[in-house]
Amino acid sequence: MVSVIQKKNRKFKEIDYYKNEVSNYFLLPFRFQKINFQKEILVNEVGDFLIVPIGTAEKIILKKISKIDDEELYFDLISNFFISEDPIPILLNVLEARYRTKKSFLEHFTALHIFVISLRCEHTCHYCQVSRVTENKDQFDMSLYNIDEGIKIMMQSPNPYITMEFQGGEALLAFNNIEYAVKRAKEEAILHQKNITFVICTNLAPLSDDMLPFIKEHNIMISSSLDGPAFIHNQNRHRPQRNSYELTIQGLEKCREALGEDNISALLTTTNLSLDYPGEIVDEYVQQGFRNIFLRPISPYGFATYNEKKNKYQTEKFLNFYKTAFDRIIDYNKKGYYIREDYATVILKKILTPFPVGYVDLQSPAGMINNVIVFNYDGKIYASDEARMLAEMNDFTFQLGVLGQSSYNDIFYGEKAMDIAENWTNESLAGCSECAFQAYCGADPVLNYATQGNMYGYRPTNVFCQKNMEIIRYLFNLMEDESIEKIFRSWITGHSE
Amino acid sequence: MKDIIKLNNELHFSLNEEIYSEDVVYKCFYWYGADFNIDINKIDSMFLINITSKLDSINHNELLVKIKQDLIDFKLRDIVTKETKNIRELLIAKAFAHFESDDNPLTEISDPIGFDPTNF
Amino acid sequence: MILKTKGNTYDIDAPIIGRVTRFPENIGYEILISENIFSKDWYRFKAVLSTNKIISSLEIPLIHSIKNLDHLNEGDIIIINTDGIVNTIYRVNSNHNFLLFTERCNSNCLMCSQPPKDRDDTEYFFNQYIQAIPLIPKDCLEIGITGGEPTLLGNRFLKLLNQLKEQLPETEIHCLTNGRSFAWENVAQKVGEIDNKRLMLAIPLYADVYHIHDYIVQAKDAFNQTVKGIYNLAKYGQRIEIRIVLHKQTIPRLAKLAKFIYKNMPFVEHIAFMGLEHEGYTSFNIDKLWIDPIDYQEELNDAVTYLSDFGMNVSIYNAQLCTLSENLWEYSRKSISDWKNIYFDECNKCDLLDQCGGMFASGVKKYSNSIKAVSISKLTNL
Repeated sequence: MVSVIQKKNRKFKEIDYYKNEVSNYFLLPFRFQKINFQKEILVNEVGDFLIVPIGTAEKIILKKISKIDDEELYFDLISNFFISEDPIPILLNVLEARYRTKKSFLEHFTALHIFVISLRCEHTCHYCQVSRVTENKDQFDMSLYNIDEGIKIMMQSPNPYITMEFQGGEALLAFNNIEYAVKRAKEEAILHQKNITFVICTNLAPLSDDMLPFIKEHNIMISSSLDGPAFIHNQNRHRPQRNSYELTIQGLEKCREALGEDNISALLTTTNLSLDYPGEIVDEYVQQGFRNIFLRPISPYGFATYNEKKNKYQTEKFLNFYKTAFDRIIDYNKKGYYIREDYATVILKKILTPFPVGYVDLQSPAGMINNVIVFNYDGKIYASDEARMLAEMNDFTFQLGVLGQSSYNDIFYGEKAMDIAENWTNESLAGCSECAFQAYCGADPVLNYATQGNMYGYRPTNVFCQKNMEIIRYLFNLMEDESIEKIFRSWITGHSE
Repeated sequence: MKDIIKLNNELHFSLNEEIYSEDVVYKCFYWYGADFNIDINKIDSMFLINITSKLDSINHNELLVKIKQDLIDFKLRDIVTKETKNIRELLIAKAFAHFESDDNPLTEISDPIGFDPTNF
Repeated sequence: MILKTKGNTYDIDAPIIGRVTRFPENIGYEILISENIFSKDWYRFKAVLSTNKIISSLEIPLIHSIKNLDHLNEGDIIIINTDGIVNTIYRVNSNHNFLLFTERCNSNCLMCSQPPKDRDDTEYFFNQYIQAIPLIPKDCLEIGITGGEPTLLGNRFLKLLNQLKEQLPETEIHCLTNGRSFAWENVAQKVGEIDNKRLMLAIPLYADVYHIHDYIVQAKDAFNQTVKGIYNLAKYGQRIEIRIVLHKQTIPRLAKLAKFIYKNMPFVEHIAFMGLEHEGYTSFNIDKLWIDPIDYQEELNDAVTYLSDFGMNVSIYNAQLCTLSENLWEYSRKSISDWKNIYFDECNKCDLLDQCGGMFASGVKKYSNSIKAVSISKLTNL
């Protein structure tokens, strides 16, 4: 029934038999950087890292790592794709797939479509250069025509998952238009087989009970603002009655009750005043039951100057604020209250997971155009929300077209887009191209332009660079503490224990 | 590093191109532009570097130590960049060349009875 | 558990495969177990088994003088070989049925529980299963495919997979393979084309670096082939489980292996860490393999919690709870096949006996010094 074909020697061999005999190894692309006085970090092309004693990179690059004497490190480097025993690694296909995955946010193209549904607002926040206190709907609300045209463009996105986000001014002041836009977009989404998500950004002050059923029916997410305790929030957000905080809290409660916890979030706008109260702000978020807080830097468009020193001072001040607030957040987590910081979480996902992160301000190629597009109330189309802010200061560098006039190709692949594209990959920017944190960072041509006068930017004095370099370094330092790394993992997966 | 001259808020020295390539020199001193005015001239195979502080004075010795360390680091980075240029281009090209099939292994499947996976 | 018995044969020229019954009226079955000397009913069956000594000239395929047939239940599927050996292929009362596709293997693992044989048995086993698979009850929950290395059946492997999908569309198919053949993309593609959503390919990966994996499986280039194979399978949408046997060679880089898996193959559906089984080659190589489980808890803990923290699905097999850190208990599964599983006398005093993974019967040869009954009242975390 069975035939014995051959007898083969199955004698066991020792481990050395299985080690390739190689005279030397080949380098694979990686970058390095000191992160403190003892350690440096090595980061490969797909963002995997090793933290090693200072001087290790030099040994590796000068081919002084011995397969015998430094066996553990040698094989760590092989395993993590820092070196290879073949000129082209046998498992290059793994690295290819990893790289493709990391950049796969590009695959589907623009998801987020921001509709500035009205420029009108009942607040007069001092840091806001955009909004108008007015009853003049004709002039400052998005017309139905522009809404229709915006939806047309949105439906041409190759992305099967799209988000329609309503911003202001105060979006809820034009609630009728939101109702119209949501219904219209839903009809079109069915025709174009799109999965569509809606978001309203609002300070919640104009929220009335009769809006909630519509918001609930269409699963609209509410993105609100909370700047901290009342004395900060009300100072930041001017209202004649000085009751912005109270209205926001009431609105949050109403929304949570009507829509559920998960459908409402709050954003922090950091101002000069906030910088003195990091602890109080974190406490306020915990008190209000939030499980996340987004410590956003002051928008440079508020203090935008070409003044290097002032920018640097502001960045340092922000970083101090960030770290103090961050320590407080870690404390809460250690005490058992799960609350994550969103900016760090974006970076940590890039550091610790093999997945891409679709966060428009920290991508390369940049998120503008690729992931987000802005339709202004007046029909003008911008590359990002910040680009629209610039336009409000009469700088139309990043205007890509006009609704109803520009074609999809004009907008997304036109000359303007191509100009921006020259500057939106950090792989090709001076100062970034050999930076160890490149894989965790991004490029922001609008911010470069606003703070340094050109889209390319100059890294040594660049606020984006200063801020991200320090935050990323800081996160790596914190991670040396295993209990903190454990907290970071819980932020990434959202699992609280 | 030769011909070091220390002035009040200036530092001058020269670098041999055979030791530090143009790429290394420019990439290194790029980062000094925030606090210093940098002047790079090339005569024969020497780079003449003139550094002037934008502030009042400089600690020459501290600065020299930092520059030397940075030059080494940027030289190392340059080695990686140049040595891995081809593999990096290949990696990125293949990463975006989506569903292209890979070559089969050239290694042995090592079945004593002669299984041949290509016959599947 | 008895899976094999033997008797004397009449009129068996080729292997006969079928389901057994003790009731002659069950004419849907193929093989009758009869305690009579003769019955006309015998003619309705493909073969007859008996413990009696029979002298026959009936021209009915017959195995007689079998010592004992108590291990066979109604509906069990057996194969009667021409030499009188009767093997059980499928037991209706077990959840641990597996189909051994071949005893050939292109690897030679240090701890192989079923050492390979260098003879071509693939035609024999193919013929066996092509007949047996249609007889397996359609409500069978799960069935394993094992070896040897099943893919060495080549196109016959595909035919059997196809047949399993057609005949048992509701059954989970769990195929143990070293994954190396899938490094050849055509192999992965062909399996992908079968498109069985209930097929899971369980593939061992023993280290994050080639030389340790290759040493453990005693085959050069195996690591690169397996990793490439996993990638090819993923490309064709196949479900993958990674299996890691815990022993002296895998422990030192275990946490690094966990990281390698999450970073490079986060698409795998399940990762199983498995205690050492003392069968086959293990005893021979015990000096290279043995490490008391109590001495690798830190490494195991790091690897398991890392993967779990990042949302991966992790299990620990073949572990006794008393040798496992308390925080790893939630990952421990009772995975040892019923017929291989034993407990010690000490275990009868243990409050956690019901939840314990137990011990391979062969584990009595060498086991942890820390085996001891656990008393719930002494636990802090429960």
